[in-house]
Amino acid sequence: MIENSPYAFLLPLALLTAFAGVLLPLLAESHGRKLAAIAAGAVMAVSLALLVPLFALVVSGQTVVVPVEWLPDYGFNLAFRLDGLGMLFTILILGIGLLVVLYAYYYLPDKDKLGRFYALLLLFMSAMLGIVLSENLLMMVVFWEITSLSSFLLIAYKSEAYESRIAARMALVVTGGGGLALLAGIILLGQVAGSYELSQVIAAADLIKADPLYPLILTLVLLGAFTKSAQFPFHFWLPNAMAAPTPVSAYLHSATMVKAGVFLLARLYPVLSGTDAWLISVSAIGAITLVYGAYMAMYRDDFKGLLAYSTISHLGLITLLFGLSTPMSVVAGVFHIINHAIFKASLFMAAGIIDHECGTRDMRRVNGLFKLMPITATLAMVAAASMAGVPLLNGFLSKEMFFTEAVLFTGFDSSHLILPVFATIAGILAVAYSARFIHDVFFNGDPVDLPRQPHEPPRWMRVPVEILVLLCLVVGMFPARSVGTLLATAAGATLQAPLPAYDLKIWHGFNLALVMSVVALAGGVALYAQRATLIRWNDKLPSLNSKTGFERLHRFMAAQASRILAWLDNGSLQRYIALLCAFVLIYGGWASYRNMSLSDASFSGASSSPIDIAAMIALAAMALGTIGTTLLHHRRLLAVILIGIVGLVVSLTFVRFSAPDLALTQLSVEVVTIVLMLLALYYLPQTTPKESSRLRVGRDVLLAAGIGGGMALATYALLTSPFSTISDFYLQQSVPGGGGSNVVNVILVDFRGFDTLGEIAVLAMAALGAHALLDQLRLLPPKHDSAGRQWAQEPHPLFLRMLMQPLLPLALAVSVYIFLRGHNLPGGGFVAGLVTGVALILQSLAGGLSFAENRLPRSYPPLLGLGLAFAAGIGLVSWFFSRPFLTSAHGHFHLPLLGDIELASVIIFDLGVYLVVVATVLLILSELGKLHKGEQT
Amino acid sequence: MSNIFSDLITALPEIFVLGMAMFILLLDLFLKPSQRGLIFWLSQLTLAGAATITVITHTPAVSYAFNGMFVDDPMADALKVMTYIGTAMMFVYTRHYLSLRGMFRGEYYALVLFAMVGMMVMISGQNFLTLYMGLELLSLCLYALVALDRDNPRATEAAMKYFVLGALASGMLLYGMSMMYGATGSLNIAEVGESLMQGAPTYSMLILGLVFIVAGLAFKLGAVPFQMWVPDVYHGSPTAMTMLIGSVPKLAAFAMVIRLLVQGLYVVAVDWQGMLVIMAVLSIAIGNVAAIAQTNIKRMLAYSTISHIGFLLFGLMSASMNGFASSMFYVSAYVLMTLAGFGMILLLSRQGFEAENLDDLKGLNQRSPWNAFLMLIVMFSMAGVPPTLGFYAKFTVLQAALEAGFVGLVIFAVLMAAVGAFYYLRVVKLMYFDEPQDTSPIDAPTGMRVMLSVNAIGLLVLGLMPQALMGISAYAMFYSIQ
Repeated sequence: MIENSPYAFLLPLALLTAFAGVLLPLLAESHGRKLAAIAAGAVMAVSLALLVPLFALVVSGQTVVVPVEWLPDYGFNLAFRLDGLGMLFTILILGIGLLVVLYAYYYLPDKDKLGRFYALLLLFMSAMLGIVLSENLLMMVVFWEITSLSSFLLIAYKSEAYESRIAARMALVVTGGGGLALLAGIILLGQVAGSYELSQVIAAADLIKADPLYPLILTLVLLGAFTKSAQFPFHFWLPNAMAAPTPVSAYLHSATMVKAGVFLLARLYPVLSGTDAWLISVSAIGAITLVYGAYMAMYRDDFKGLLAYSTISHLGLITLLFGLSTPMSVVAGVFHIINHAIFKASLFMAAGIIDHECGTRDMRRVNGLFKLMPITATLAMVAAASMAGVPLLNGFLSKEMFFTEAVLFTGFDSSHLILPVFATIAGILAVAYSARFIHDVFFNGDPVDLPRQPHEPPRWMRVPVEILVLLCLVVGMFPARSVGTLLATAAGATLQAPLPAYDLKIWHGFNLALVMSVVALAGGVALYAQRATLIRWNDKLPSLNSKTGFERLHRFMAAQASRILAWLDNGSLQRYIALLCAFVLIYGGWASYRNMSLSDASFSGASSSPIDIAAMIALAAMALGTIGTTLLHHRRLLAVILIGIVGLVVSLTFVRFSAPDLALTQLSVEVVTIVLMLLALYYLPQTTPKESSRLRVGRDVLLAAGIGGGMALATYALLTSPFSTISDFYLQQSVPGGGGSNVVNVILVDFRGFDTLGEIAVLAMAALGAHALLDQLRLLPPKHDSAGRQWAQEPHPLFLRMLMQPLLPLALAVSVYIFLRGHNLPGGGFVAGLVTGVALILQSLAGGLSFAENRLPRSYPPLLGLGLAFAAGIGLVSWFFSRPFLTSAHGHFHLPLLGDIELASVIIFDLGVYLVVVATVLLILSELGKLHKGEQT
Repeated sequence: MSNIFSDLITALPEIFVLGMAMFILLLDLFLKPSQRGLIFWLSQLTLAGAATITVITHTPAVSYAFNGMFVDDPMADALKVMTYIGTAMMFVYTRHYLSLRGMFRGEYYALVLFAMVGMMVMISGQNFLTLYMGLELLSLCLYALVALDRDNPRATEAAMKYFVLGALASGMLLYGMSMMYGATGSLNIAEVGESLMQGAPTYSMLILGLVFIVAGLAFKLGAVPFQMWVPDVYHGSPTAMTMLIGSVPKLAAFAMVIRLLVQGLYVVAVDWQGMLVIMAVLSIAIGNVAAIAQTNIKRMLAYSTISHIGFLLFGLMSASMNGFASSMFYVSAYVLMTLAGFGMILLLSRQGFEAENLDDLKGLNQRSPWNAFLMLIVMFSMAGVPPTLGFYAKFTVLQAALEAGFVGLVIFAVLMAAVGAFYYLRVVKLMYFDEPQDTSPIDAPTGMRVMLSVNAIGLLVLGLMPQALMGISAYAMFYSIQ
């Protein structure tokens, strides 16, 4: 069946021409609107001409497939396909497209340059062509979405009108959303079939129908088809889309875009049909839409609205026919696609002429036009009669086929009557609304209060209508000779199976279908006669309107989104942190729960050091101190003191676990930070305001307990799990590698000297940061405490000052001592620096800052630099011994002669550390002190 | 230690950028305000130089440096080059905006370049500590950048929030890493992977560590439920900084996810997959739903980022080569889209006026049809409408997720994408169909206009020819992940 003909390249070329042609009207626009129209028409004509050579192949029963490799990794190839179905749609798209181009030239106001309009129309046309000519299903979806987008732009062409904008957006949301569902369905389909190429998907049809994913695929694909073809309950966008200019309606909403949905049904018919799910869902939706659309059409006062609902109804009919899934019903469906496109496009165009001439579309005002524009009226009446299914017109033929199928259909077990009855009701309604259109618009007295005086339109504006109506007649009277081949080819391609025997005749003899037709005609006319009663009756019905449903959904979503936002995103950092912690807790708890081993594997066999009384007391003190800090944090001074207690207990803990170095460091750090904090506290209010509500405190307590408890458990599990530490390595290497027995110090200045260099650099930077922040800052210290009492007038008690003076040399001596012994015993440059710092801080506390300042260097940044220079310089020295920077150089000196040099290098490094620490402490101190000056002046 | 030079060669791009950043910082002290243009061009030169080095030293082979702490593989090279390009584009976009607001200073360029070094280290980190160091270098620079406009209270607040939450998240990440170290006894990613392959002794520790690592990563990516910082920071920061935060760092964050979860912890993929699934679904849902309610375009883009991250996670959670490659494709597409989106906001801002609200886009078509068209492409691409780049990005990650068997989730994601399309199209509607509120002419230098046109049209062109970018992603992943 599939053949690569020498003309195959024409297929992609035609599509390319169409897409490239989109720009032409824009370029032509500046040379007048006529040229724009000609350009648009030329593009369509050329595309059609390019495809015509292939039609012969298709008619002979072949399918032209042209693969173009593009993204093979993702199954995404540009594969094109032309078969009977594609040919039918190509002819509809390009043929009616040409007529629309001509029609629009007269329809749109002269001031419109038309370039944009034709460009959009061509874009839509190209995308539509793309849909029907795609072999690759993904490519089809891409084009599908482009039709949604371009139709959005076309519906909103009169963008200044609010109606158009709303309608365009609604159409886009519905059809675009359906397109996404379709995308999902197609991806699934491709996954199941193993390919996105239509031929292979068709070949895998049985596999797909047997797949557990089949119901999902079907649902998604049908969602796409039903939204596009305006099937109930997604039909509501189509009547609203009538806000579009009429040429757009004639093109999109009768012949092409809305047919994309039924095209999809036809395209995937061999793949998806043949199951009960298909039969029931497709035919039920089709039947409901058929009757509902016809019923609603009767009550429209706007004749374009009437046509829109009639379109919905006819699309329902086609859907129903495909749903019935007998070969003959498919033929009827394809036939009705042709017929509907012809008569509905002509009706829309006629309606456009009337609208154009009268300035309104209200059938209560537009009456009696037959006298004013007889030719147009005649044309419209013929088309409307075809819509109603009057014999000798094309609409009658496919409707007869439908009635026959309805009678013959045996797929529904329960009742054979239901389908014929449905069909007849729909037929009656169709006749009724057609009658209303004809009678109200062209007869029924005189026009009421029209904005314009109607008369016949320009000659060429009527030509497209004339051509289409002529087609109605020709097809209606000579069906086999006019469209027989086309229908057979298209239906054959849809079925992918031999065609059933059928006869395209006008007269099939007296049978039940003919009776139904007669009943429909007579009933319809009778129904129309009783319209006044009907309208009254209809008004009492609760209005079933999914348009308001859509708007309500939209509002509901926006409101819900705001509510979620208000909870999630209220700008409060506390809320964010709480949420963050809560989610971590949930995740962590969930993970632990799922693995359930926190309680078994990690904890069993764990050994920890026994806890004695002293340790218990210390732990209790630490816990109390922590809790106290939290509880009393509103009173700043108390909180700082309590935090000091915690720090002290931590240093004691280090002593308990034989880490005197850490203890010493911790102690000094603790003292320095507490003192600096106290200095800063001086400028702050004594208490902080209470900001959290009880509820929030409760929440935070819970979260903190959860996180803290979890952390503790995890840490416990980590510490008690069997593990070899790296301590042994350092203990063994300390003396031979670093030449010192104080492992901590050796690590700091030797093994990890580079790290230490980095750390003191950070310390120096922090000091500079404090300098930058505080240098020019002047604060006015408070004169009173919170109770209104004055601060002591004498800031520096004599007693303290006297006591401090002898302490200074003592403290300095201690720091030198600690510094020198550092390499072998607890101590070192860092601790020594802190001790010196503490001593000097105490001096300034006791004697006042001016006292200290007079005796200390004016500027500390140079001291920082000096310290860093020492540390880095000694590192560089090792380069002279052809050793890498800092670290390893020291480890390799084993010779007794060089042992001295090694020691010296380390001490100089430590001196650098010392200087940086001292300078940092003093710099912060003096900067804080300078703030005082505000008080003194 | 004899291979120190080969180590240095491996890390040459980082070293070069670092050196140049310091040079720029120093040079700036000696420049007059009128000579600041030099800084701009020097920064661009730095990026060009780094790109040259990266491209010249590129091989498909994987090379390690610094005792396996640092790696140079095709993924690193590809992501680094994308980072350079993104940063260079950002420099072009932001120059005018910054100079109007007194922020066109050396610090900005130095900080961005330092942040970029952080990203590069994250991309090339092969050790928990290296990764963490890169992350912190990046984060600290970003905190500072957000607060660069010190007198702007909203920016300072945003910086504060970002810093506090970011520090918390970094802490979690570090905590997770330490547990991972406790469980496997190594900080090296390859060794962690091998150790897990042989069966981890303390599984619970491992999983708990994993939870914290994933939480930390999710925070950096901005995935729900760790997304809280995103809207506030996007909104509060000066737009130039938002553009930076929202774009290129995601490449580095993506690399970090690959390094940690894929190269290190692939053995426990089942466990992290579950977490990623939850985050992906939540991100897509909340990102899209919350974006509907926004009136501020920066906040809207913030939520849109969250939903994009959700899609990115869809690729990652498939835990397949195809999934990783499609995620990489997604993240590169995302960066391009984000740059263009914020580029438009920068373009519409002018002296004393910040284009921030959706209403500021009203009637853009009447003010400037070309720019409205560009924004149309950007919005379509973000919404994932074919044939733009965003469509293929979404398509590939969803396909990867489908192959991994997440059928229901894919359907959900597609439906959510439809919700998402709604607010992107609202922007289109505002631009095309509403009356402009602000009728002043658009004042922007040519360079920026050209950049924006190239960027937005690029989204379309790459959408029509996505194979190049897809090919790079597939290549990078294939040669980097064994």
